[in-house]
Order: sequence, then C-alpha cells, then structure tokens
Amino acid sequence: MMLKRILAIFMILIIGFWLAKGLSGIPFGADKMLVGKYYLEHVKDQTGAINAVTAVVVNYRGFDTLGEVTVLFIASTGVAALLWRKRRERTAKMEGSVVLTTGSKLLFPFIMIFGMYIFIHGHLTPGGGFPGGATIATAFLLMYLAFIVYEIPHKGFEVTEGLAGMSYVLVGLIGLVIGGYFLFDWIWQTWKLGTIGKLISGGFIPVIYTIIGIKVATELSGIVDNMLKEEVKE
Amino acid sequence: MTEASRLSRYLYTLIIVFIIWLFLTASLDPQELAMGLIFSAIVAAFTYEIFTTRGLSNLHPRRVAYAIAYVPYFLWAMIKANLDVAYRVLHPKRPINPGIVECKTTLRNEVGKLALANSITLTPGTITLDIDGDRYFIHWIDVKDKSVEGASEHITRPFEKFLKVIFE
Repeated sequence: MMLKRILAIFMILIIGFWLAKGLSGIPFGADKMLVGKYYLEHVKDQTGAINAVTAVVVNYRGFDTLGEVTVLFIASTGVAALLWRKRRERTAKMEGSVVLTTGSKLLFPFIMIFGMYIFIHGHLTPGGGFPGGATIATAFLLMYLAFIVYEIPHKGFEVTEGLAGMSYVLVGLIGLVIGGYFLFDWIWQTWKLGTIGKLISGGFIPVIYTIIGIKVATELSGIVDNMLKEEVKE
Repeated sequence: MTEASRLSRYLYTLIIVFIIWLFLTASLDPQELAMGLIFSAIVAAFTYEIFTTRGLSNLHPRRVAYAIAYVPYFLWAMIKANLDVAYRVLHPKRPINPGIVECKTTLRNEVGKLALANSITLTPGTITLDIDGDRYFIHWIDVKDKSVEGASEHITRPFEKFLKVIFE
C-alpha cells in the first residue's frame, strides 16, 4: 500500500514538473492571439453580437455547439437507458419542512425567469443557452428536493426536448438553403435584423440560445428525475 | 382561507415575475419590455398554480404599505441583533446562555410562516430549527424566558404585528 502511494506521488510530481517545464516557455500575458484578433475585430459587423464568446460558440464555430447539444442528449438518453426498470418511484418518506416547501414554491418562478433572462441575453451579457438551461433545471431540482411526490410531466418534457433539438438543426438547414453552408447566419447576414447592442440583434444567436436553453432545461430535469427514482418491488 | 380565481392568481404571478424582469434588465427599452412580457406570461402559465393561492388580493395597498414599512423595521432589528452578537463574541466572559425554546405563532398562512421563520433566523441570536403547525422550535443564544408565552413575546411577537397584515 505504502509503496503504491509513494510511487503514485512520485509519478504525479514527474508529470507536474514536465508540464511546468513546458509551460515555462510561454511568457504570461504575452500577445498570442492569431485567430482571436480576427474574432475581436470582426465580431460586431459579422455577427451583430457584442459577446464575442457566444458569437464564436454559436456562430463561427456552431458545429461544436451542435456537438455539445448532442453529447448532452446522449447523456440524458444514456442515464434513462441505464436506470430503466419496469416500475420506478420516488421512495423518499419525509417531506421537507414548511420553510423548505413554501420557499421552493416561491422561488420556482423567480429561478425560471432568471434562466430565461440568461439565455435570451446570450449575445449581450455573459451566459447563454447552457447556463440558462441549467438554471431552469435547478428550479425543477428544487421542487424534487422539497416535495416527495413532485414529478415533471414526462411526456411534455420529452417532446419539447426533441422539438428543440430539431429546431436547432432546422435553423442550420435554412442557413444551408439561403447561404450555401450549414449554420449560415441568415438572420444577420441576409436580413441585417436589429441594431447592435439592443435585444433584437446578434442574428440567430438569441434564437439558437433559446432553443438550447429549453433543450438543456428539459434534459437536465429528466436526468434529475431518473436519478432520484428507485426501483420498487411489486 | 378560500382560493382566489385562476385568472387572479395568474395575473398576480405575471405581475410579480414581470417586476423581477424589470429589475434584471434595468432598462425600459420597448424590446426588453415586450420580451419580458412574453417570458413572464410563459413563466406565469407554468408556475401560478404553485406560486400563489390568493392571487391579486396580495397587492392590496394596505398589505403593500406594510410590506414596505417592514423592510426598514426588519433591517433595524437585524443591525441591533448583530451588534448584540458581536458584543457577546468580544466580551471576555462570553455571556451566553443557549437553549431551545418553543414559541407559538398566530399566523395561519404558510408564506407568512416562512417569512416569520426567516426573520427569526436572520436576526442573530435566534435560529428557527423546525416548524410544526403553529409551534416554532427556536435555538436562542441567551434564553431569557423558558415558557412558551414568554419566549413568543420576545421572539415572534415583534415581527408578527407586521406579518399578520401582510400575509393574513
């Protein structure tokens, strides 16, 4: 046991030293931007967004985001498949106290509107679809933790999730028809819709982030639902 | 207590959520207002059933006035109590006499009970441990009165006169 631990620490020290040696060649704070410069200089007139991060994530490199959404979808489906049983129920016995249950009921709409605020302002402020969706899922998690009988409406959630995913691909396909390549920003490049800095701007970034927000929210809520249920003997 | 009509409950949730939106965006740009209204309507449609039981009657002017007056009253109680705890921490003899006391409340509404519990917890020296019906179990740093009536007089009564108007 002892020897194993010493060996492990020794290995980690070697790897750490090797990494530090490699990184020491790069001076801290030096200008290393090659592609970054281009993004910062062109983000406003090419995408209509102020937030360069979301512009890169949704617009310049939209394929990665589509991949991430797919990963989340597979995670959610995987959890559902792994935990699939004939009869699964909440088996918790104790309801939360009056403070917890009433507090959750009161906070629920506030968390939801804040999540929506985050994803619709993705092109103007930090955030976007993923944090916004996760925030809304937190509201459902809160309800699950406070009440022993609470359940999300499964049918509606699964259908919404699928429709949101399809809408994302559809927005990309419309771009393919209009602009010649998948995820071409037709709302900004073709229509020049909105003024930069206002809510209606940023091309299809707010549209896609709304879709992603809805998708992430329903997906994470589904994962929470699956994880909290236990198998029930007949 | 009877439930208000569905429309009244929906409108109340819509108004509250929209006010939160106004604070979040801090702008009166027409685009933001329109988007805020749409989102508030969606959120209210999903949540009004659990958010409120009384609907628009929550916005009775008397209740709103008491709620606004309660803020400085509560903040003052908080400052006083914090100084009191600081005194106990810094005092060389550490004059504490901790214990758990039981209080009774006259509040019936669940939201009122929540507000009272949080008010008690946020004024240092007292922490709400549990609520069971109209009984509060409170951890008190300096127990002055062990009886239910006496403890209620010290802890819950000062807040109740406000909360009773706001939530009952």
